[in-house]
Amino acid sequence: MQTQYRLGIDAGGTFTDFILADRDGHVRIVKALSTPQDPTLAIRNGLALIEEETGISPAEIVSNADLCINGTTVGLNALITHRGAKTGLIATAGHEDSIEIRLGHKEDGYRYDPEYPPATMLVPRHLRHGVRERVISTGAVHTPLNEDDVRAACRHFLAEGVQSVAISFVWSVLHPDHERRAAEIVREMMPDVMLTVGSELYPQVREYTRTSTAIVNAYLGPILAQYVEAVDRQFRAMGAKNPVRYFQSNGGLATGEIVANQAVYAINSGPASAPQAALYLGQPYGEENLITVDMGGTSFDITLTWQGRANVSKNIDFLRYRIGIPMIQVETLGAGGGSIGWIDPMGLLQMGPQSAGSEPGPACYGRGGTQPTTTDANLVLGYLSPGGLVGGRLPLDVEKAREAIRIHLAEPLGLSVERAAYGMFTIVNTNMVNGIRRVSVERGYDPRDFVLNCAGGATGSHIMALAREIGIRKVMISKLASGLCAYGQILSDVKYNYMAPAPIRLEGAEAAAQLDALFNGLEIKGRADLTQDGFAEDRIGIRRSLDMRYVGQVHECTVSVDPFEITEASLDRLKAAFHARHEELYTYSEPNSAVEVVNVESAIAGKVDRPNRMRLAPGKGSEAAVKGLRPMIFAADGVSQETPVFDGAALGAGDTVRGPAVIEEVTTTLVIEPGWTAVLDENGTYVVTAD
Amino acid sequence: MAGRNVDPITLSVVRGVLETTQREMTLTLEQTARSSVFNLAHDYSTALFNHTPEMILQGQDIPIHLGSLIPAMKSVAKFFEGDIHEGDIILHNDPAYGGSHIIDTCMYFPVFYEGELMFWTVCKGHLTDIGGPVPAGYNPNATEIFAEGLRIPPVKLWDRGVPRNDVINLLLTNMRARRDQEGDFNALIGACQVGARALKGLVDKYGKQVVQDCIAELLDMAEAHMRHLIAAVPDGTYSGTAILEDAGHGFGDFEITATVTIEGDGCHIAIQSPPQIPYFINSYEGNSHSGVYLGVMMFAQLPPPYNEGLYRCVSTDMGAKGTLCNAQSPAPHMNCTTTPMETLTDAVRLAFEQAAPDKVSASWGHANGCNIAGWDKRHDEEYVTMVLASIISGAGATASQDGWHAVGPECCFGALTSGDIEMLEHSYPIIIHRYSLMEDSGGAGRNRGGSGTCWEVEPLDTPMTLITFGEGRRIPAMGAAGAKSEMVSKKVGRLEITRGGKTEVITDNVIETIQPGERAANFNPGGGGFGPAFERPVERVVDDVKNGLVSLEGARRDYGVVITDAATLDVDHAATAALRRA
Repeated sequence: MQTQYRLGIDAGGTFTDFILADRDGHVRIVKALSTPQDPTLAIRNGLALIEEETGISPAEIVSNADLCINGTTVGLNALITHRGAKTGLIATAGHEDSIEIRLGHKEDGYRYDPEYPPATMLVPRHLRHGVRERVISTGAVHTPLNEDDVRAACRHFLAEGVQSVAISFVWSVLHPDHERRAAEIVREMMPDVMLTVGSELYPQVREYTRTSTAIVNAYLGPILAQYVEAVDRQFRAMGAKNPVRYFQSNGGLATGEIVANQAVYAINSGPASAPQAALYLGQPYGEENLITVDMGGTSFDITLTWQGRANVSKNIDFLRYRIGIPMIQVETLGAGGGSIGWIDPMGLLQMGPQSAGSEPGPACYGRGGTQPTTTDANLVLGYLSPGGLVGGRLPLDVEKAREAIRIHLAEPLGLSVERAAYGMFTIVNTNMVNGIRRVSVERGYDPRDFVLNCAGGATGSHIMALAREIGIRKVMISKLASGLCAYGQILSDVKYNYMAPAPIRLEGAEAAAQLDALFNGLEIKGRADLTQDGFAEDRIGIRRSLDMRYVGQVHECTVSVDPFEITEASLDRLKAAFHARHEELYTYSEPNSAVEVVNVESAIAGKVDRPNRMRLAPGKGSEAAVKGLRPMIFAADGVSQETPVFDGAALGAGDTVRGPAVIEEVTTTLVIEPGWTAVLDENGTYVVTAD
Repeated sequence: MAGRNVDPITLSVVRGVLETTQREMTLTLEQTARSSVFNLAHDYSTALFNHTPEMILQGQDIPIHLGSLIPAMKSVAKFFEGDIHEGDIILHNDPAYGGSHIIDTCMYFPVFYEGELMFWTVCKGHLTDIGGPVPAGYNPNATEIFAEGLRIPPVKLWDRGVPRNDVINLLLTNMRARRDQEGDFNALIGACQVGARALKGLVDKYGKQVVQDCIAELLDMAEAHMRHLIAAVPDGTYSGTAILEDAGHGFGDFEITATVTIEGDGCHIAIQSPPQIPYFINSYEGNSHSGVYLGVMMFAQLPPPYNEGLYRCVSTDMGAKGTLCNAQSPAPHMNCTTTPMETLTDAVRLAFEQAAPDKVSASWGHANGCNIAGWDKRHDEEYVTMVLASIISGAGATASQDGWHAVGPECCFGALTSGDIEMLEHSYPIIIHRYSLMEDSGGAGRNRGGSGTCWEVEPLDTPMTLITFGEGRRIPAMGAAGAKSEMVSKKVGRLEITRGGKTEVITDNVIETIQPGERAANFNPGGGGFGPAFERPVERVVDDVKNGLVSLEGARRDYGVVITDAATLDVDHAATAALRRA
């Protein structure tokens, strides 16, 4: 680590988290309220809070720091509120509607719902222009590009005041010339618009995915560019010497210029840094199989690493828009502290996805909320202190919580308030366990082989119960848990994805040579980009992935491998990796069937210096840290028992806490269930194991 | 509920696990299947049954399969009664045993726990071929089921964990594109096993009795819920009649009538249809259940999960044996999952429109699409498939909103996906020239029906056979609450074949061969509108014109809106008011 500081900023929906690490092993966490109207305000507020606590001025930090930040909120908000740039699409004539046809599908869960609306079009039909041109599946030109059609589209866009243009043609990935020429014409006629070219942004087979990805990128690009410019300007004014790095949903950092041009990589980047933090916490124990769960006010994010690598998703629907680019898989559920408990028309108790949010918030906040939420249940169960959250800044009202649960759930179900509260706790946990299955079981992994890692301020009350339900026997909870994603950012490498279409059957020397050349081409470009970014050759790492399938299958399964020379002989290694993965996922493989590749990708990373770990002084035994006793409920019968409450700040390295117990940290509360023992390590991580 | 020890919390947990189990089965099928029909069209069901066997969870799959697995599972269990063992896998497709149509192949996997049969995991998927004279199974010339493909009564594919390779080989030998069919057998079996694994985990955790009690309770709760909905409808007898158009068989149009009798919290649905005909649109009883249940769900508008308890208070009578909706062997039937199912659904929907007018939605566009077959020179192999992209019609409008574009047909109700056009061109030697929404195709109404689609194809370098099926080429999707369209020709389906600069419009089901350089364009109908079209706000009509969903002529004829300038979209308000008054 060459600079004095690394500062990670995770701009979330409610809070912006700051993690400041220095060369001497001090790691601090600060939270400031997010300011969606002007994200730089939250940055200034956070730095002011740090100065209050430490006396170190913003200028001193910024001028001696590597700065890492994400733009999740900016992109997400624009997509949720449909306030992106006015965007036009230039498409192959006859295929202007693929983003509105959406493969002819209505989302599951709404099959018979007469009021579920169609997805709002980011580009309305009258701004989608077909041009005469066509490349076919062999890469041959069937119809040459009609340049007059492109010009007509530009004239229409100019008249309409379009700010951003996406170009996406059928099979452009096999023959990009038409898109390139159309791009030249657009640049010439509309020099001021932002331009996204499908085959450059996402050079992979699948027209709908590519077009939709290009449109999301075009729609968000101008907004992200403004954000990057404002943040860069702010930090330059404060004396920053190094360029600010932006965190991407692929799990790596990038420069502002790249993020502005590839805005689609910025959305949902917040939770994507959790896997890096998890690996760092697990490293001293040799743990590389980790599931990180992050519970906030309205949602619950899950990420997974297996053998040191994070799950990646491609070609998914995000907020109802298809996005192709490889993103760290983040399974998000509507399960948070504000999730509301209700009884469905069948008479079953349900939790969420409706949320009381932070306004009015849970009933116990006393801000007018009357619906029973997860936080209300946790308060009734005794897990949360009636003294309140965030070090007492937010007092909680137990009677309001009990009242909400009694009226809406306990009485209709014929249960005591305590039993109903434990039921709410159980059901929200079941929802989360089912979510964890989606990143594990559905990806071919047994969740019992993992360590469960805690992120987010609200997770600490649930994580032991989740581990118990899944059968996980080891849990890690860092003192930094509530800002773990910001921490992950300053631990992350710079990373770019290079992709190519590769519709090739894995047979013969020619196919092998073709694949080898494709990968080498991608990696030469990647190395050049990272070298230019200042990374020495020995700090550049490459990981390849191939989307493969049995000939005749419609979906691919992604197989990830380290680079090796692809020859006719080594094709068997690729095939073996595919058969094995297919069997992990789907219980069977077909070793005698033909295998084909559809798309390939190389992820190229430049390794950064990591900050030192947090250092804690040895503890003096946990007895001294007991603040008092509180009645808590740990079973469905709703019977409470007096349970010790520990002050986390008074615990030191090596101190041991046996469950049942609660450990209160300033930004989070850890519930240690009966049958579990927590040991605080010298890096500030509670390692909790089943007895 | 007597004697059951069910606490409401465990009940919710069990429900969640059942849903997750079904989801994991679905995912396995979707990701591994060869048949684009079932992995893109979601033309499959995954379902869980208890030991009795009663359906305890149905996936959110296409409504075509809503009902038919229920009688099918029961007949399979009965067929092998006393001879069901751990490790057995049973396959079946025959409509005489409750199947829908023979191209839908079902796999039944009994799940044992400590030696006792506790569950069945069941999957059903539409293969790309089932043998017989016509690739992909849709033979408009068949006069008997025997001319449509291979009928498979319940047969064990695995016996106590051992694959019966002779039986598997016998079946596969009788199908085209064997590699794909074999892959799909594996996918179905894989999905059943994935489901069994998860269910055993559930019983490990809670024990047999608790799980069984919770499941019994979930069935009762679904029943109570449906009874509650039906009780809100005034007692009485309501009837709806829908017309099934003659799509080339020459027997003329038919009427299908549904009579819905509501009495307290129960409901009886009686179907009346003409005698079965020697043409592939006869529906056996299992399939007709699906058509009826879809009509019920359009009324009930329920969110998931779905189980058999929902239908306990709904009794049905599909009419006399040997009629179109209660066919018996040897009636040909391949087209039944779309035609007459959608007409049957419309008849039930119409009856409910009178019973509960506040819960009505308009009809969706009916399926009319094509299968394609030929030789792929790139790999020297034959190809055959149903083209899902060719059946994407518009959704019906509802009281609160316009119909969705491009999510039909009615029998699928938004559950299918049509596949990426590049992947289709990669898999088959074709060029797709157009896959788009269609101007004026949505039914006129205060809320407009969703747009239908056009799918236009040209074979790459070898001749291609097109086999078309369906109807909805003359009668548009029915509107609701007084909606109707003037411009009908744009709202119905058709096939247009262009050879040597001449375009032929075909509205019958045909088998046609086209050459490279020639094109076939399949048009699908839009959905029905809701409410009188002249009540649609003028600015919404103008917006539709701007977006190419309604033409100037359509604005005038269907909506009574006179637009005087195609470029500025200026409206003549006086002329509009006059038209709308008339």
